[in-house]
Amino acid sequence: MVKKSASLSAGLEIYYNKYYVSMMEKQKTILVVEDEKSLREAIVDILRLKKFLPLEAKNGIEGVELALATHPDLILLDIVMPEMDGMTALKKIRQDAWGEKVPVIILTNLSATSEQLVEDVVTHKPMHYLIKSDWKLHDVVKKIETILETQSTL
Amino acid sequence: MKLLNNNIFICLLVMTAGLIFALPATASPEAPTMGAPLFDVISQLKGLRVDTSNAGLTVKVAPGELLPISVKLANFGGGKRVDVLVTYLIVTSAGEEIYSTTETVAVETTASFVKTIQVPFGTAPGIYTARTSIVYQGQVVPATTQFPFTVERKIFGLFQSEFYLYGGIMLLVATFAGIISRLWIRRRRITRFMPVDYSDIPHDKRVFYELISDTVMGMRGQVGESALDIAKQINGLVIDEKTGRVLKLTEKPSKVIAELVSGYEKALGKKVSFSFRGS
Repeated sequence: MVKKSASLSAGLEIYYNKYYVSMMEKQKTILVVEDEKSLREAIVDILRLKKFLPLEAKNGIEGVELALATHPDLILLDIVMPEMDGMTALKKIRQDAWGEKVPVIILTNLSATSEQLVEDVVTHKPMHYLIKSDWKLHDVVKKIETILETQSTL
Repeated sequence: MKLLNNNIFICLLVMTAGLIFALPATASPEAPTMGAPLFDVISQLKGLRVDTSNAGLTVKVAPGELLPISVKLANFGGGKRVDVLVTYLIVTSAGEEIYSTTETVAVETTASFVKTIQVPFGTAPGIYTARTSIVYQGQVVPATTQFPFTVERKIFGLFQSEFYLYGGIMLLVATFAGIISRLWIRRRRITRFMPVDYSDIPHDKRVFYELISDTVMGMRGQVGESALDIAKQINGLVIDEKTGRVLKLTEKPSKVIAELVSGYEKALGKKVSFSFRGS
């Protein structure tokens, strides 16, 4: 969009850039990293319904790649996944300059009863550590909306 | 005095609702002005004298209820028996008679009694006059007394006006009490679940204090005071027994959190979600 507008006059370029930015601002990107297909699709559906732009990854490796390539506005991350678990993925994302501050919500069935897990969670600071069985998808989406609203006002 | 002794002196007093009305002797039964004594007629014709007065109070009754009238007749005529015909009337403000009854009372010196007259059931609400008059042999001028009273319907044993008044007051009080209790509960809830400030804790440890504190409060909101009891039993965690404020961590913080989460899961069968402050 920006490239296309480069050939146009300066005024139009500004208009297109503003339009582009505005569109991007309106449709926030959410990366859903979840190995359970049915749940992932349900989350994606509800995010689309709420006018978000959802991106899907079915394991930690895909999640890290997609996150660093697309810089989503928020990451919804499962912990127990094949190939690369969510906590390892989070560590890798946090090592990136952009990924250091991206808001992450952990949505898992894994209880934080291990000392190492707690240590990791505290170190890499997701915004929320939510137990799947305790949360309805609508409430998770509300949390996403709240985080993004708070960030846009900062 | 001699003249008075020879005269028949009848004083008619009417008391309603426990208050004494001295009946006025009226030349005509027209409505009297309330308050001051109306008539003080002294007639020496045939040795007869009648004195009455009116206290001017209003009472309230419901249709079908009894209206008590306390009557006092006094004969100052030297012990000579006089038969007095007493007539009781209830008249509307337009002068229409809606109730009437009579009785004869023999008076030698004094006669005191309470007469109750029943206000007819179908009486419409409004202001009425209870009129009492006496007739006796040798009477020169008529003696009549009257007082106004109000007829008002009752709701649940209360007069309509009182019912609305007390009902309004009760409603106001209930609303006020409701607002106060709601505010109190809200304030209690806010103060109870308000995140505790740990700005006095060193930055590197603060996040653990906040996480533990918020987790205990969150569980307290879900399961009540047992959340505090469980937290108190965690090794290395010292909390305020009333507020749940984390006072000290004597073990590795991540170990304390893991044990706390595990404790809640075992005791309450609930997995614990938590959030970091600023989220």
